[in-house]
Amino acid sequence: MACMNEDGQWIVLMGLLVAVGLFFLALIINQSALVGQTTAEGVLEFPKNDIRDLREAVFDYVDEFDHEEDTESKAVRDDIIAISLERKNAVVDFSVGDPEDISGRDLHPITIHYNNGVTEYHETVYY
Amino acid sequence: MVNDRGQLYTMEGVAAGVIMLLTAYIVVSTTSVYTAGDTHIPDMQLEQLGSDVLAMMDTPDTKGEVSDLEIFVSTNNETGFKNAFLGYCNAKAIGADNLHMSANVTYRHASSNEIRDYPLVEPDNTWTGRESAVRVTRWVELEGNPSGVSGMDPSRPRAVLVEVLLWRA
Repeated sequence: MACMNEDGQWIVLMGLLVAVGLFFLALIINQSALVGQTTAEGVLEFPKNDIRDLREAVFDYVDEFDHEEDTESKAVRDDIIAISLERKNAVVDFSVGDPEDISGRDLHPITIHYNNGVTEYHETVYY
Repeated sequence: MVNDRGQLYTMEGVAAGVIMLLTAYIVVSTTSVYTAGDTHIPDMQLEQLGSDVLAMMDTPDTKGEVSDLEIFVSTNNETGFKNAFLGYCNAKAIGADNLHMSANVTYRHASSNEIRDYPLVEPDNTWTGRESAVRVTRWVELEGNPSGVSGMDPSRPRAVLVEVLLWRA
């Protein structure tokens, strides 16, 4: 640029940098409103408390009835399965086996199945 | 020799283009943000709080004892349940929170094979139906039928689901 006065080029270039920087900061502020949204959605969707509660209900059931199958224990089991489906939209099943010797203790093998269409959970636990 | 007088104009053009694109992007992305972030986070916190309160109420003092929750449900104790639940919920270091609740108990009616429920705690007058309420639940296993509830099967051990509706008013 032989014949042209180019003193202003640096000013224009710095102006561009500042403008881009400001837009970048605005973008960060704009996105900050979203913080925690996907986390909260994930927590709301994942039935952590439901599964924990179901496990405790099954343990209570074993405390009460052991692994016996009679009309009373069958009725409680049907309660849990039917109410889960109706009110929690979850297909639930569980079964309790004969006690086994686990490290010197007699524990019941319990299988628990849970499926609410989004989250599926299967467990075999000795209790 | 190639004339390079247009360089500055080109740079200006590029800068203007970048700025316009960024502006358009920010304007478009601003529109859908706030409501989503507004509702999910307090809902999640409220739901966790309610679940924790029910878990506390369902924990007996010592092994083999019956938990408060089971006693309240089996004796159909509305005021006891409400005071215990709201007492835990509204506890703060300074002052008190402003949470309100209602509760239902869902049971299975075996002879008609229906799922029925009855109110355990009626909602107070802050309940207008427009609150952003969350529902938390807890299984309770009872030795027999809860007292004072009509229309149930003959008494037997049963599992019922306590459903609490929780809202801030």
